Amino acid sequence: MKLLVCIKQVPDLESRFKPNAEGVWYNETDLAWRMNEYDEFAVEQAIRLREQLGEGSELTVLSIGPERVVEAIKKALAMGCDNAVHIQDPAAATKDPWQIASIISTYAKDKNFDLIFTGMQSQDRGSAQVGVTIAEQLGIPCTTTIVGFEYDNGAITAKRELEGGIKGIVKLKTPALVTCQLGLNVPRYPTLPNIMKAKKKEISAITAADLLREEPLATTASFHPPAKKGGGIVLEGDVGTLVDQLIGILKEKTAVLR
Amino acid sequence: MPAKLFKGAEYLIVETDKNDIFTPEDFSDEQRQIGDTTEQFVLNEVVPLREEIEHHNLPLTVELMKKCGELGLLMIDAPEEYGGLELDKATSMLAAEKLSQAGSFSVTYSAHTGIGTLPLVYYGTKEQKEKYLHKIISGEWIAAYCLTEPGSGSDALGAAATATLSADGKHYILNGTKQFITNGGMANLFTVFAKIDKQHFTGFLVERNTEGLSIGPEENKMGVRGSSTTQVVLEDARVPVENLLGEIGKGHKIAFNVLNVGRFKLGAAVTGAAKVSLATGIKYANERKAFGVTIGTFGAIQEKIADMSAAIFASESLIYRLSGLIDDRLATIPKDTPNYYESYQQGIEEYSLECAIAKVFCSEVLADVVDAVVQIHGGYGFIQEYAAEGYYRDERINRIWEGTNEINRLLIPGIILRRAMKGEIPLQKEAMKAFESLMSPSFDELDDSVPFAAEKVLIANLKQAFLVLAGSGVQKFMDTIKDEQEILLAVADLAINIFAIESAVLRAEKILPKLSESKKASVSAAVKVFTFNGTEKAASAARRAAYYIEEGDTLTMLLAGIRRFTKYDATGLLKAKRQLAGASIEADKYIF
Ligand SMILES: Cc1cc2nc3c(=O)[nH]c(=O)nc-3n(C[C@H](O)[C@H](O)[C@H](O)COP(=O)(O)OP(=O)(O)OC[C@H]3O[C@@H](n4cnc5c(N)ncnc54)[C@H](O)[C@@H]3O)c2cc1C
Repeated sequence: MKLLVCIKQVPDLESRFKPNAEGVWYNETDLAWRMNEYDEFAVEQAIRLREQLGEGSELTVLSIGPERVVEAIKKALAMGCDNAVHIQDPAAATKDPWQIASIISTYAKDKNFDLIFTGMQSQDRGSAQVGVTIAEQLGIPCTTTIVGFEYDNGAITAKRELEGGIKGIVKLKTPALVTCQLGLNVPRYPTLPNIMKAKKKEISAITAADLLREEPLATTASFHPPAKKGGGIVLEGDVGTLVDQLIGILKEKTAVLR
Repeated sequence: MPAKLFKGAEYLIVETDKNDIFTPEDFSDEQRQIGDTTEQFVLNEVVPLREEIEHHNLPLTVELMKKCGELGLLMIDAPEEYGGLELDKATSMLAAEKLSQAGSFSVTYSAHTGIGTLPLVYYGTKEQKEKYLHKIISGEWIAAYCLTEPGSGSDALGAAATATLSADGKHYILNGTKQFITNGGMANLFTVFAKIDKQHFTGFLVERNTEGLSIGPEENKMGVRGSSTTQVVLEDARVPVENLLGEIGKGHKIAFNVLNVGRFKLGAAVTGAAKVSLATGIKYANERKAFGVTIGTFGAIQEKIADMSAAIFASESLIYRLSGLIDDRLATIPKDTPNYYESYQQGIEEYSLECAIAKVFCSEVLADVVDAVVQIHGGYGFIQEYAAEGYYRDERINRIWEGTNEINRLLIPGIILRRAMKGEIPLQKEAMKAFESLMSPSFDELDDSVPFAAEKVLIANLKQAFLVLAGSGVQKFMDTIKDEQEILLAVADLAINIFAIESAVLRAEKILPKLSESKKASVSAAVKVFTFNGTEKAASAARRAAYYIEEGDTLTMLLAGIRRFTKYDATGLLKAKRQLAGASIEADKYIF
């Protein structure tokens, strides 16, 4: 069985972000990078399946981006992926989700992957479109935001998280794609011996231009911090007057009591 | 490819090129990943249990050590042949640095992987390694190292513990008391030093269940309270002869060689601790308000943050430069060399001076940092609920163990003189030259076009000051210089600060071209701030030494020379401090 997991490298979310010069993305200078958290769940689940299937199965990790993303790829290899594809693209951040998905589906089209794992969304762009679009472009079924996963003989049983804490169970047949949500699993730490062993695993490189056939469907018009809000109001006095004041404000300035 | 191979102590007489040093920016992806795994493990699995560990839940610590074993964190320094990873020292130091965030747990870890494991790795026979090493690098067994006794600490060779061969020749009968043994309460294997027939200082591998071995109660400590520290008492303990470690009468080699690595690793660990402590201080400075503003906006607080950041930058530069020195040398020893570990030992021993410097310098940076971080916290720094209080208490031991900082300082001139006597470094010749330049100062113009030109001239000058003072001391006291501890300590301070300043400057010079503009500004500021602070210390030490050694006209001449050799134009110092503090406050952490 052939498995693929798609990962993205994103900035450490504790970084201080500033818009870039063009004002359509963030400035990448001096940021620390790591694997997108949702993709870690995807990698972990893919590795568990790979371990369940044993001999004869193969797990490939794929990432699009500049040279630095090799570090995220190496982490996935150290966690347990068998080999890797680095789709080299210094300008990945300027592409819309449709283009990113199309690069991956063009790559995957004739490779006969039985199952593709992606994260539910990226922590930086957060479109949540790439996984589903790949499935659509490849013409395979997909289910999203999974928090539970079982595989048996060509059949996937996935647990999905729905609004308001409701869970749904979805069954689908391979080939298929799943997007992974927080709560699916606890990703392992790459162990030191595995980090060293991963040095020998193959990372093949392809340039994005060789795979890109599509024009963007959406463009980012502007990237900016939220406008500064006015200061808060601090109410003082005894509880009775506080309540009166608050109700007054709620009536006057909001719709909640109308 | 290893860069140029340097001899130990050679930095004092030659100029080092930036491309010949290793820096944290040179880590490979694998090294960084190992750092990451270590850090994530500590932050997610150990730090949340800190309270429990501090209250001496040893079974929990043992559990966590097993987890360390599963991740491979205990096998970094062990040979591949026995299931280890045999990684370079840079990786080992990085792991030690990241683990230091774990407080008391990192003491357990360091003692286990350092002084606990290394005697076996370096001196164990094949049979001994086969029997014990796997258990130790998997975390199944915990290891401890028993050198200190109630009556002998610094004077380690003065040990009173004895070993006597049994009548049937099958056992050594050990008697004695070992004091302050880290991991004593949970260890399964003890490396014990005792004197055979009361004279031949020798190492032994002693299992916990050995009859006659007992463990004393836990000591009640000022800091690192969650670590285990006990006496280990040997009363007619029967140790099989095959558990004798190394050679009879060669225990001092084991004890001291292991300490070289131990000191070096301690330097790495305290550097990690300093970063965490500083980050706590910066975060607090960003939150706490006084007089209507956050305290981080005050110059008084900013100056502390700047001084600390710069000192930690130096500490880090020094540790990884030393990793590079050692790794380059060890890489020249073919793995199939007979007696590989003997050559390996010599490789590390070569840098015993730098290891002592790392221990003293980095532990004292941490001391300054934890003190300043308590101060930034004001009254809250005195209250146990705040991490700053624990950092302050935990720091103190680092200036005492692995050889007190006095003992390590005294080692420094001792090693230099010994090397000079043996002709390994041309100290006399260089000292003569330094004396000449003392008499006839040169007035070369500074070449401003190269980065850190002023700092580089200063470093060369500080080395001159060192040579002049070391030379004067030897000339005046000859063999009895070894009894002039005040002079030796002052000369050591000079050697320490030279190594630290040079390490910081070379690292900055090496990484500068690859940095963003804002990082460039911060690195340059750190260099200026640290060079200024380090030079002030070096100058004070030099003057101290001059007053101790000389009087009259010679003293006047020495002092004039020192003034010239320690001159550093730190124009823009205030701006540099504010730049550094500003960047740290904005990033809310240690920025390098
Ligand atoms: C928590 C803890 C854990 C420890 N863990 C271990 C362990 O795992 N294994 C182990 O073997 N030991 C361990 N030790 C012991 C530690 O290494 C010693 O305490 C240390 O070496 C100092 O020895 P001492 O306490 O006997 O002090 P002393 O040697 O009595 O020193 C007292 C003072 O005199 C100074 N002094 C001593 N000799 C000289 C000299 N020649 N010249 C100038 N000044 C001198 C010292 O610098 C110090 O200031 C531990 C200690 C503690 C507190």
